[in-house]
Amino acid sequence: MQHSKIAFVAFMAAILVVMAAILPCGAADLRILYFNDFHGFAESSRRIGSDELQGGIAHLSFRAAELRKEKPSLLLAAGDMIQGDTWANLFAGKPSIDVMNAMGVDAMVVGNHEFDFGKTVLAKRIAEARFPVLGANVTGLDALKPYVIREVNGLKVAIIGVVTEETPSATHPSNVAGLQFLPVARTVRQYVSELRHRVDVIVVLSHIGYNADMELAGAVNGIDVIVGGHSHTKAVKEITVGKTVIVQAWEHGLVLGVLDLTVESGRITSVSDRLESITPALMKKDEKVAAIVENYAGQVRESMGKVIGEALVDLNAENARTGESNMGNFVADIIRKESGAQAAIINGGGLRTSIMKGPVTVGNIYSVLPFNNYILSIRLTGQQIRDALEYGVSGIEAKEGRFPQVSGISFAYSPAREAGKRIAAIRIAGKPLELTRHYTVATNDFLAAGGDGYQVFREAIRQAPDFEIVGGTIRSSNIVYNDAGRWLRDVVVSEVQKEKKITSAVEGRIRTESK
Amino acid sequence: MKVFVNNTEVHLAPGMTVRHAIIAAGLTQEIAAGKKVFDAWGNEVGLDGAVSENYKIYIKDA
Repeated sequence: MQHSKIAFVAFMAAILVVMAAILPCGAADLRILYFNDFHGFAESSRRIGSDELQGGIAHLSFRAAELRKEKPSLLLAAGDMIQGDTWANLFAGKPSIDVMNAMGVDAMVVGNHEFDFGKTVLAKRIAEARFPVLGANVTGLDALKPYVIREVNGLKVAIIGVVTEETPSATHPSNVAGLQFLPVARTVRQYVSELRHRVDVIVVLSHIGYNADMELAGAVNGIDVIVGGHSHTKAVKEITVGKTVIVQAWEHGLVLGVLDLTVESGRITSVSDRLESITPALMKKDEKVAAIVENYAGQVRESMGKVIGEALVDLNAENARTGESNMGNFVADIIRKESGAQAAIINGGGLRTSIMKGPVTVGNIYSVLPFNNYILSIRLTGQQIRDALEYGVSGIEAKEGRFPQVSGISFAYSPAREAGKRIAAIRIAGKPLELTRHYTVATNDFLAAGGDGYQVFREAIRQAPDFEIVGGTIRSSNIVYNDAGRWLRDVVVSEVQKEKKITSAVEGRIRTESK
Repeated sequence: MKVFVNNTEVHLAPGMTVRHAIIAAGLTQEIAAGKKVFDAWGNEVGLDGAVSENYKIYIKDA
């Protein structure tokens, strides 16, 4: 008995010696679990080039819970969580908040896309969140908190949230009216100075992009960790700039970031970081989260079949690559109206199917416009409009998708002529096109970036590389409307819901000449 | 906004992403064929990732 007591005491002493060697006196562990740019991609999916299902927020949640049991942890969300996939968009982002509530997220920073449903909706989403939503450099939305302090394993951890200053440049001006996005570095410096003596660890939860995170770390002393988002960077291992550790976890809940820190006397003494792939075939799922996902997914399926209006005629997209189509006119008119532009040019190839006369469902519209495209309006010269139309009809022999569908414009073209010399009689708003005059022309982001080989929109963008944000709206010499946060198909759905009975005709906007 | 794709300069509107840079560079077929996009530090980036002035991306085999 005496021997066993001695052995027990010796064993415990040895444990203490080992513990002391591993964990210096006053040292404490902190695990930070993180994900970013979820964009409402709640369900698992296959990516290009892979047969394996990846992602799925229920699986990510299960793994996060397992990892939380191992060590004292924080679960952080680095922005762009509520907008993107239809699963979230149809309910203005509420499903993402419900899921994050169920997961026990400790803090989230607003991303630029959190503003895409407007300030009022965002305030509602924040009110529904059972975790603080941060935005230290945003003024005008009281629901956002600049920072939060959490106590974990005896450590006081301050989490400061910041979002890109460029947020107003790519969302509808009304979404950010009355808000100001202050310089990130100045804001963080101010809060680090305020918090440094009050806490053991300072984490910046950022939605400014990986490169900007590195600049921030170089510009502001006293940040221990930056958990980032915005650039969708799969940073497989942490990097350190000065004394600041920077991490980011790709996108869409495809991976979960795991950052393990040891902190001693307010100093990080060890760092270990990894991204864990979310692979449904190999993982269990959080049933509570899975139920939320499936509930909304079921509602999405139901919504797709919901009748939102009636087509009084067949809306034909079959001939949109070779001539004027009433489906082309229908969509181009909506784009022009939404942006307030004088004209609109879209690619016929972007209209993927027709809608037959009769009831119109959300799913019908999504089938016509399946891509995540949004509306821009760009100031073009008359010459550039002419060049765009010439290019648009230059591939008609091969029924190229570039064939233009237009609104506010009419023209004639002759397929018999040499490509580049086919267009004639261009009119805008009923008047002859003036080659040196400027016009506002709406299009989709695909063409604006140079998709289908269109050069004029990107050329106009290149000619106006500088833009500034004044009073929450974009000011640029050439880009006059830019709503990257609202998909074109959702704009069309809204228009059909408003008009109820829709019709469109081929009315001679594009006339074919034989010579 | 000026961005470089495989060292070729392209110009994008504010709010455009890696996806638009690839469209502007005329390299969408490479992505369809299974190639991936990486930043200047060798990290893979998603197609919807934000870009910034002078951002550099490279399209490579995974």
